[in-house]
Amino acid sequence: MGIRFRSVSFSYPGFGKGFYEALRNITLNIATTGEFIALVGQTGSGKSTLAQHMNALVFPTSGSVEIFGKTITPKRDKKIKYNDLRRKVGLVFQFPEYQLFEETVEKDIMFGPLNFKIPEEKAREMAKTALQLVGLGPQYLTRNPLNLSGGEKKRVSIAGILAMNPDMLVLDEPTSGLDPYGKKAMMDLFRSIRERTDKTIIVITHDMDLVYEYMDRVLVLDNGALVFDGEPDRLFRQTDLENLHLDHPATIKVLRTVSEQLGIALDVYQKDVVGAVRELRKAVRP
Amino acid sequence: MKNIVIGQYLPGTGFFYRLDPRTKIIAVIFLMVAVFLLDTILQVSIAFVAAIVFMILGNISVRRVANGLKPLFVLLIFTFVFQIFFNRAGTLLWQDDLVFSLASISAVVAWTILWRLATRFRRFRGILFILWVAGVYLALAYLPYGPAFAPVSFEIYQKGVEMSVFVVIRLMIVIALSTILTLTTKPTDLTQGLESLMRPLKKIGINSDDFALIISISLRYIPTILDEANKIMLAQASRGADFNEGKLLAKVKQIISLLIPMFIIAFKRSEDLADAMESRNFVPGKPRTRIHELAYGGADLITAVFTVVVFAGAIILKVLP
Repeated sequence: MGIRFRSVSFSYPGFGKGFYEALRNITLNIATTGEFIALVGQTGSGKSTLAQHMNALVFPTSGSVEIFGKTITPKRDKKIKYNDLRRKVGLVFQFPEYQLFEETVEKDIMFGPLNFKIPEEKAREMAKTALQLVGLGPQYLTRNPLNLSGGEKKRVSIAGILAMNPDMLVLDEPTSGLDPYGKKAMMDLFRSIRERTDKTIIVITHDMDLVYEYMDRVLVLDNGALVFDGEPDRLFRQTDLENLHLDHPATIKVLRTVSEQLGIALDVYQKDVVGAVRELRKAVRP
Repeated sequence: MKNIVIGQYLPGTGFFYRLDPRTKIIAVIFLMVAVFLLDTILQVSIAFVAAIVFMILGNISVRRVANGLKPLFVLLIFTFVFQIFFNRAGTLLWQDDLVFSLASISAVVAWTILWRLATRFRRFRGILFILWVAGVYLALAYLPYGPAFAPVSFEIYQKGVEMSVFVVIRLMIVIALSTILTLTTKPTDLTQGLESLMRPLKKIGINSDDFALIISISLRYIPTILDEANKIMLAQASRGADFNEGKLLAKVKQIISLLIPMFIIAFKRSEDLADAMESRNFVPGKPRTRIHELAYGGADLITAVFTVVVFAGAIILKVLP
């Protein structure tokens, strides 16, 4: 079960005869439960395209993707109910502007559940719960989603997917455009969803601090190819991060600078601020 | 969604590419008028062959132009059928009595149901449609009649056949001409040409600068908006919106979920564009310079002479007999 990519390539049709190869020969396994995965890579490396393969929104140009036992090939199969897969793997797009359209937040969150034939009363209930999950109070239910601030829109769009109660969650840059506090709250939300339900969550992000602090697996895409698949710790201990167009998390950078400038030996690989402070304290007052 | 070609410009080299857009626009207008002045099948056939020869000489793929005809195929067929049925002059070529009786109408209904079922095989849709038309005709014309209503006489006349061929060829030339224009001229050049040609209209209060700006901005934003539409579609499909299936009411709802974000994004984009233009000191109505100034060359002279000759020839052919 889960999602299996088998040598998947994908090309966007381009101008004239040329085309743009967005994914090159990707093989990858993702379990249904227990994973918290970061998908990183520079802009244009194919992260969003990979995410859109995970709920059969786009079809591979070659290779196949297996989603919950259904095999997605370049050719459309009439026997597969693609909509079913989209309910099982909830995908939140990067820009909430692309999906908010109803008069009230409540109706907008209910759009997904109603499409999947969930009775109206139940859908209303789900909308309420989902909105609470993303940290917005019930007073937002009657607001117009188009008049919200950027961060609030983002939360409502995530609630719209959460309300579908998917078996897996894929989020395209859920923390972009949020203030630092909002970012942390969002990541804590995902962590709590994971702890409560053990569902696999995949997050596209550029924020290495979040990757190091929260995730247990990281996928690195470079120019359409999967160049790293493993634990964040292993990724950041690797020296050629620059070749992958990635940066170190702030904790590593700060501790490394302190260690070099003051000439103290430190274990610089600390996942969060608390760990970094503990390491510094150890060095100052042994 | 991505397959839609807007502004059919295909980069290339060749005679038609070297022409000034103004020359091309005027030449196409005059040649179209000339084609409409022609009277006989022979004349339009010669013009048609000449058009194809010029396309080949100008290094334009004839198949590409034929593709331009595709959307107008229905119009061509409609013209053809209309002419063949309703033009009743010349000698009679074919005559059948179409009888509407209980037997023939029920045969037509059964045949239609069979056809609708068979259209599941999308690949053979064209052939199936022709088979259906033929079947309906045969049923009406030759089926043993029961008690019948008044028969309708189906007649084809010589003049009808001639006119239908004539009209279709003429239409094809006109479409081919405009396709050559759009195929070999960049949308921006086309607007610049139009602007330049419309400049005299300023005296009667039509500002060609504004007009050109409107056209070039719209052209520029078509691919962007299409791209946005595609993204919105994916985002809503991700929430279970299905744009193909479902009842009419559900479908309307799905389309609204597409249209509203579309409008919001389009308005926001246009506001951003206006801000960006103003911050680069764009003042509406002020004279502006251009990077590429239009200039006539030798090819334009040849085209102008050719167009004048063809136009004069068409007038002479019309007036002479």
